Amino acid sequence: MIRLESIQRRYASDEVETTALADINLAVAEGEFLAIMGPSGCGKSTLLNILGTVDRPSAGRYMFGDRDLAALAEAELAQLRGRTLGFVFQSFNLIDELTIQENVALGLAYRKGAQGDKRQRIEQAMDRVGISHRARHYPHQLSGGQQQRAAIARAIVGDPSLILADEPTGNLDTENGQQVMDILTSLNGEGATIIMVTHSPSHADMAKRRIDMLDGRIVSSVARAI
Amino acid sequence: MNRFALVTFYRSLVRHKLYAALNIGGLAVGIAVFIVLGLYVRFETSYETFLPHHQQVYLIKNRWKLVGVPTTDYDGTMGGLLEELHQDFPETVGTRLKSYQISVLRNGVATSEQAALVDPSFLDVLEVPVAAGDARAALRDPSAVLLSEKIARKYFPGGNAIGKRMTFSINGTARDYRVAAILKDVPRNTELDWNIVTKLVPNQLGGPGWYHWGSGTLNTYLKFATPADAAAYARRLPSFIDRRGAHDMLGHPSQSLSFPLVPIRDVHLSRPGSKLTVTTLGLVGLLTLLIAIINYVNLATARSGLRAREVAIRKVLGGSRSALVRHFLGEAVATAAMAAVIGLALAELVLPIVNASGDLSLSIDYATTIPPLILLALIVGVGAGLYPALLLSRFPAAAVLASARTPGGGRTGARLREGLVMIQFALAISFLIGTAVLFAQTVHVRSADLGFQRDGMMIVKSFGSTDLSEPQRVSLLAAYRASPSIVSATIADTAPGDGSYTNATQMFRPGQEQKDGPNISTISIGKDWFETYDARLAAGRFLDTAHRQDDLGTSGTNPANVVINRAALPLLGFASPQAALGQTVIETGQNNEKLPRIIVGVIDNIRFYAPREKLPGMMFRYSTKPFDYTVAVVRYRGGEDAAMRALRENWRQIAPQVPFEATTATRNLAVYYKPDDRAARLFAIGAGLAVAIGCVGLWGLASFNTQRRVKEVGIRKTLGASSTDIVKLLVGQFLRPVVIANVVAWPLAFVAMRTWLAGFDDRVALSPLYFVGATLVSLLIAVGTVIAQSLRAARAAPAWALRHE
Repeated sequence: MIRLESIQRRYASDEVETTALADINLAVAEGEFLAIMGPSGCGKSTLLNILGTVDRPSAGRYMFGDRDLAALAEAELAQLRGRTLGFVFQSFNLIDELTIQENVALGLAYRKGAQGDKRQRIEQAMDRVGISHRARHYPHQLSGGQQQRAAIARAIVGDPSLILADEPTGNLDTENGQQVMDILTSLNGEGATIIMVTHSPSHADMAKRRIDMLDGRIVSSVARAI
Repeated sequence: MNRFALVTFYRSLVRHKLYAALNIGGLAVGIAVFIVLGLYVRFETSYETFLPHHQQVYLIKNRWKLVGVPTTDYDGTMGGLLEELHQDFPETVGTRLKSYQISVLRNGVATSEQAALVDPSFLDVLEVPVAAGDARAALRDPSAVLLSEKIARKYFPGGNAIGKRMTFSINGTARDYRVAAILKDVPRNTELDWNIVTKLVPNQLGGPGWYHWGSGTLNTYLKFATPADAAAYARRLPSFIDRRGAHDMLGHPSQSLSFPLVPIRDVHLSRPGSKLTVTTLGLVGLLTLLIAIINYVNLATARSGLRAREVAIRKVLGGSRSALVRHFLGEAVATAAMAAVIGLALAELVLPIVNASGDLSLSIDYATTIPPLILLALIVGVGAGLYPALLLSRFPAAAVLASARTPGGGRTGARLREGLVMIQFALAISFLIGTAVLFAQTVHVRSADLGFQRDGMMIVKSFGSTDLSEPQRVSLLAAYRASPSIVSATIADTAPGDGSYTNATQMFRPGQEQKDGPNISTISIGKDWFETYDARLAAGRFLDTAHRQDDLGTSGTNPANVVINRAALPLLGFASPQAALGQTVIETGQNNEKLPRIIVGVIDNIRFYAPREKLPGMMFRYSTKPFDYTVAVVRYRGGEDAAMRALRENWRQIAPQVPFEATTATRNLAVYYKPDDRAARLFAIGAGLAVAIGCVGLWGLASFNTQRRVKEVGIRKTLGASSTDIVKLLVGQFLRPVVIANVVAWPLAFVAMRTWLAGFDDRVALSPLYFVGATLVSLLIAVGTVIAQSLRAARAAPAWALRHE
């Protein structure tokens, strides 16, 4: 589904050049649940941002299906994100001025073309994560776990083919973190491809494959025995 | 703008009420000022547009280019000009209008009214709307009269004025007139404001000046189908002037006289200073709106970092940059739309105050105001919102989401904001300087030394009425001089503030060419004139009854004595007042005869007319014989009311059939100051609001910036900074652009004010104090605006500040 070939990402300021990613080669199959681990500053989030097309590599090739994403303009990448990708963040990133239902609906706002029954999709997404009873509340009225579940609902409302989760349990307690992981596992079981960055070995063990990163490189890739 | 965008926008306004109030309020005030000053500009530039086909009508002006005086345009032309034009150019379509003060006689009481005596072609050229009656037939009948609706209501309150009779006295002759038609009342934006119209009968008013080239008796209007026709006609006029003017004027008459054809809607703005005033106030409105737009840009870009995370999420969810730009532009347009509605309401609320302070009658015609206001909201929204929209949509999603802190816009953003504050304050300081200079000028003209004692002086304007007989004039003067309230009384053919009758003549020295002589104003005066005015003698003596040669009426063939003013000295070639004493000058008579005069006195300059007019060279001639036009001036003792009562009582006894009209010299001169007073007040209102908007923006910016620096304040205090150090740091940040703004404001204001003041002959000096004062005021305002927040931030406990995010 996804293939990264010799991906590099460098950041240059006035005097210093930092290499966040140095020669990443990675393939992710459809339906896979991949966990990425590594110490702080190893490039995990940078790799996730490139996979999510919110950042562009300095060198290398990113194939999404049979499309080379380097050839796409910014507007086309935005469209791709809206249609095929779902994001879940460590700090939830819900919009404070919108209710939970409206935040979930935002996941469909930038899609062009017919989208079937939007209302039904939104309700289904909220039901899926168990947040329907808080539909009319604002983010600041919810607990951390509820907010993260709302963010997952937003990520899946458009039936994305790839879900990217950047430390989705990082700001949650054990119980809420487990609930979120259960939802992600369940989504993967239904066929969603998930790439997750995590600091938690136990959560990484719930994925089908785990890669470890260090200093901008993938140093190991281990498939979990099923 | 999709539903979520609208919802986010609305809830953001509710959540951040202060910011919303600053932004929408600032824009609303800017729009209100723009609307009010726009209404003023529209009012001033739409004179006479109520006339159908006004674009085809032109006023012939008399333009004199003479030695010793600036080129001057006069509205009045010789009475017989149109007749001579018809003879040389039979295709001419024109009409004449003579403004005249007449007396309406009713039940033994005489009331003064402003009338217009016109040709029968009047309504063919100036198509004043008719309310009732056969107006065109009425203008062919010298016994018929047309009334305005207002005057008809005054004299015939029951209605049905048509067919009724009225008695008027014109030029001393009382006659009955039949009301034949009613004209619709004219709007305020017109100079054609007379209430009674009747047929012009040249024999009634003729006199020797009717066909004299050089006289200005009435207004002559021409009508042309197209501007090209008017231009072609104008090109034929110089040869016409040379041909016809030769019997009254020396040399080539077209070298000193021309007839510019001025479109009737441009006549109002052709008055000295009018165009500059209207342009200036229009600019104030525009620049105030610009200051409000700068406020929006500054506040929106300063706060842009707060929305970075929202922008990143929208991008992550598939929002393209163009979609986000449209989103934020939509918010800006929605903000501008709300501000436009509030601004319109504010303008409506303040209009009565503006009208009262400016003696105006501005009003909002919603049918013609709403569509341009919608366009304005769109332009302001896009103009103000474009940069913030581009800035906001540019936030890189990856960097924002990875960062714990909200972006601050960087050094570039901070420099841009500083630059915008500098522009705002450059405009505000220029406005402050302008306001100070304008008010200094208005105060100056009211208190300047005019060369005579204006306090305690009364002008009896009705003394010039043609309904007054010579014996009545003599009796009135004698009665005034005998009155205990009156110190002295005199007559002349002009008075302070009375520009209606001015005479000038070409004068030259013996041996000099007559045509090279300068134009000198001639003032005919009566007994005790110099004493009544308290004129100041520079050399020689005043004219008096003790010297026979002083009296033009009795000097016979001997040269009469005259007095001149200081301004006449260089024009006549005299180095000093003493050098002029005893010298002979030749006055050019009405029929070009040479009349020798001997200068026996020189007085300090006396300013009778507008401060904008150049002080002319003057010659005073004393005569015991009656003049063509006379106005009486008295100097009174005690209170004004008692003096007025005495004058009125004497008048009622001696001339009851003529309406009495008198005023103080101060009040009569005030007419000249009114337009500039109004301009100064409107300017001050606009400028004050512009400064206020700038301060509101500065306050908002300071508030936001101070909040962002709370943690920094904590760190600095931990490192040993005192509260004073912190205040200096925070206040200094905002003072820098204000100080730099002076570098821009001073030259801008200097050029603008020098241009403004150049239109005045009597003007204040452009003192550095205005500039220094405005700078100090702007610094005080800036410090006052930000000091409270800076003090609060400086007093915050370091531990709390360090935890603040």
